[in-house]
Amino acid sequence: MNIHTYEKLWLVAAMVLIVGFIATITYGSVALGITMVGDQQETVEPTELNDERFSDPRVAQVGENEYEAYVTAQMFSFQPDPIEVPEDSEVTFYVTSRDVIHSFSLVGTNVNTMVIPGEVAEMTVEFDEPEEYGVVCNEYCGPNHHNMEGMVHVVPEEEFDLTELDAEAPDEVETGDDIDVTATVENRLLDPLETTVALEIGNETFSEDVTIDGGETYETTFAIDSTQLGEGDHDWAVTVGDHTDSSTVTVVDELEDDADGETNENTDEDADGDENGTEDETGTDATENDASGGDDE
Amino acid sequence: MTNTYIESFPAEAKVVRAAFYSSFLALAIGGLFGIVQTLHRTGYYRFMDSADYYTVLTAHGVLLAITFTIFFLVGVFTWAVTTSLDRPVEDIRFTWVWYGLMVVGTVLTAIPIFAGFTDSEMSASVLFTFYAPLQGHPLFYFGLVLFVVGTWLAGADWFRSWWAWKQEHPDERIPLPTFMVLTTTLMWYIATLGVAAAILLFLLPWSLGLVESVNPLLTRTLFWFFGHPVVYFWLMPAYMMWYIMLPKISGGKLFSDPLARVVFVLFLILSVPTGIHHQYLDPGIAEGFKFIAMTNTMFLLLPSLLTAFTVVASMEHGARQRGGTGYLGWLKALPWRDPVFAGMALAGLMFAAAGFSGMINAGMNINYLVHNTFWVVGHFHLTVGTAVALTFMAVTYWFLPQVTGKELWSRSVALGQVVLWFVGMTFMSNAMHRGGLLGIPRRTAEPQYEGFEFEAAVGSVGELDAQIALGGALLTLSLVLFFANVIGTALNSRSDDLPANEYADTLSGPSDAPLVLDNLKLWTAIAIVLVIFAYSFPLLSIIERGGLFGPELTELPVSIGPGLEYLSTTTVSTVTTAGETAIAIIAGVGS
Repeated sequence: MNIHTYEKLWLVAAMVLIVGFIATITYGSVALGITMVGDQQETVEPTELNDERFSDPRVAQVGENEYEAYVTAQMFSFQPDPIEVPEDSEVTFYVTSRDVIHSFSLVGTNVNTMVIPGEVAEMTVEFDEPEEYGVVCNEYCGPNHHNMEGMVHVVPEEEFDLTELDAEAPDEVETGDDIDVTATVENRLLDPLETTVALEIGNETFSEDVTIDGGETYETTFAIDSTQLGEGDHDWAVTVGDHTDSSTVTVVDELEDDADGETNENTDEDADGDENGTEDETGTDATENDASGGDDE
Repeated sequence: MTNTYIESFPAEAKVVRAAFYSSFLALAIGGLFGIVQTLHRTGYYRFMDSADYYTVLTAHGVLLAITFTIFFLVGVFTWAVTTSLDRPVEDIRFTWVWYGLMVVGTVLTAIPIFAGFTDSEMSASVLFTFYAPLQGHPLFYFGLVLFVVGTWLAGADWFRSWWAWKQEHPDERIPLPTFMVLTTTLMWYIATLGVAAAILLFLLPWSLGLVESVNPLLTRTLFWFFGHPVVYFWLMPAYMMWYIMLPKISGGKLFSDPLARVVFVLFLILSVPTGIHHQYLDPGIAEGFKFIAMTNTMFLLLPSLLTAFTVVASMEHGARQRGGTGYLGWLKALPWRDPVFAGMALAGLMFAAAGFSGMINAGMNINYLVHNTFWVVGHFHLTVGTAVALTFMAVTYWFLPQVTGKELWSRSVALGQVVLWFVGMTFMSNAMHRGGLLGIPRRTAEPQYEGFEFEAAVGSVGELDAQIALGGALLTLSLVLFFANVIGTALNSRSDDLPANEYADTLSGPSDAPLVLDNLKLWTAIAIVLVIFAYSFPLLSIIERGGLFGPELTELPVSIGPGLEYLSTTTVSTVTTAGETAIAIIAGVGS
């Protein structure tokens, strides 16, 4: 075969280019250890995501600066949203779909994966600076595809926690009974959490300083004298760090119907003015449970 | 008496003309949807609901990427085989049968797509890729099958011509154009096995309710088994035009016949075992399999780089024959005022740019930055949208007189048209590439989000939108000029003064090419071995992981009506669930 000299040179240059491209990619994955989305994870059932990770999509701490984020994508949202992680952390995302094919893509970065029902995408990402990243679904997933978005918040270390707060109180109490406001605080970090549980009701604030060990749950009850508040609606809010849980309690002269309220039972239980209000079932670190012993302000 | 194609092959010219007109009709509708999308996406003019955008996008993709390109290329291939073998098709009725089958297939596919605009239950707004669990109406899949079967029969027609010719010319080399048609057809046969399996074994039975579920990763992988080589199915006829028409129109000869054959053989063996490079980001496929696809893809650059050399060398040869001199001065001697030449040369130039963005896409790691972003849309508007489409439009100005026997309506309008396409696509595709780097996704009606904005380091998103809208407007204008010429030519009267039906001679002819290049059985065998090597383990692994028919899925027929219904039911159920949860919480507090 007759090949012109220039054409031979061109052929050689083209081969050098091609082999060069392959070499750089090989270097990246072998020498630099860049792992790509692959088949690391077992398959799941998209219609019943009830395993430990995806039944409760969340961020979990697994090492000092290491976190895992369990994310589900579904028409037309991501869970959790926003995903909050601290700066200088290494986060491994596990992403799966409940319905059709989506993607999980951090805008302006190379954090990008397809999300396929039945498969779990795994990606480890290093975040340094605090930053807010938009998350888009970049695979068409149905008529509202363009509304499918989420956020990843990389927050300063001191602002980051994995605290879960849940506060409960009756809707109605009779004048003279105590209003028991129970706060359940879970510290999902590995390190102990020093914080203050504060209840604001009426014009008063009650608070309690606590230390909750990593992975532990603390429960406390504030017993408030309803007589002092007087009849009527009273807004209350429990605050722990940045987290707030709030509702309204109504103090009435006399409860209308005893059968009506599950709420009443609770009230009845403490009707005789159990000042301590201690229902500390899970709180292993409960140092002080008497709400009235808190710092009245 | 002229020596046009229609004079030599009047019956074949009719089929080729019918194929071209079918192709142009698809181009007209698809192009109209193109400008609708451009204006909607950029926010310049929105007259429809954003949910309808995806129906428009499905029609745009299917009509342009499948219907326009393939109807045009079956016309070109039929012309190439009959012209280069210098014999009519063996049975013109068979030729009309495959053409008819392709038309019926297109119509059946189009019905459910267009039904998406109505209140009907029927719909197929599943886009060109129809990824399960999005589900289209069975007619959509059935139409696609008929269309592909039509192309299979077309291939059989071309092979039949070649076999008949070979009986009469046992010692001759396969003429280059026929060689190109045959290798491309073989590649197409292998490639379409993937989509045939995806539709016939899984998607069609599933849409008919015969099977309960599919494995989304499996059907997606089978789609890309076909989805990547299909781009070479569009591209090969454009390459053929660059090899056999461009040198002639430049005033010279093709630089090398043997290397042209090498290039087409490389495309035959390397086009299919690369499809997984569309799935670099798919969970469930091992990195090693992706690596094999990446390597094959990189080697696929070789035939394109060789083509770049041969095409430029042939053009230079032509220019020097026309009196061009100097290192670059010869460029001025090229027939830039000829729309056929200018269109093809500009298309080739754009394809060089497309090659560079394609190299980025092929890079397994850097692909993470651009995968499924607007960048990709910019990329394929340079490849299929310019390298292929502009070449097709440019050669139309040569083909129309050949198949109609009428003079082209206006060469100046034609020249303006190809230049306008080039300029319009420069604006649009450049802005799309840049938008992709900012993370703007493809395939979305409104790339405007509530929680965040796309930040441009240079320029702004508004500026990118303006360029895209401007580009889209220029492209639309270019299309209008193109159709004016097609219609104007059809209305012309027959002319006796037309160029002859000829293609380029070669400087280095087929006698320089080793005989083994014409051994189609050998190359097909190698292609099949490479496909087995690249695909059998990934497919087995996907089936082993997810099952042949996959996990239980929620079926999601995608259309506006049911889609909204689905939405409203989810909203209702969410609200209900939320209500129930609230009640449960209250109850919990109490007890």
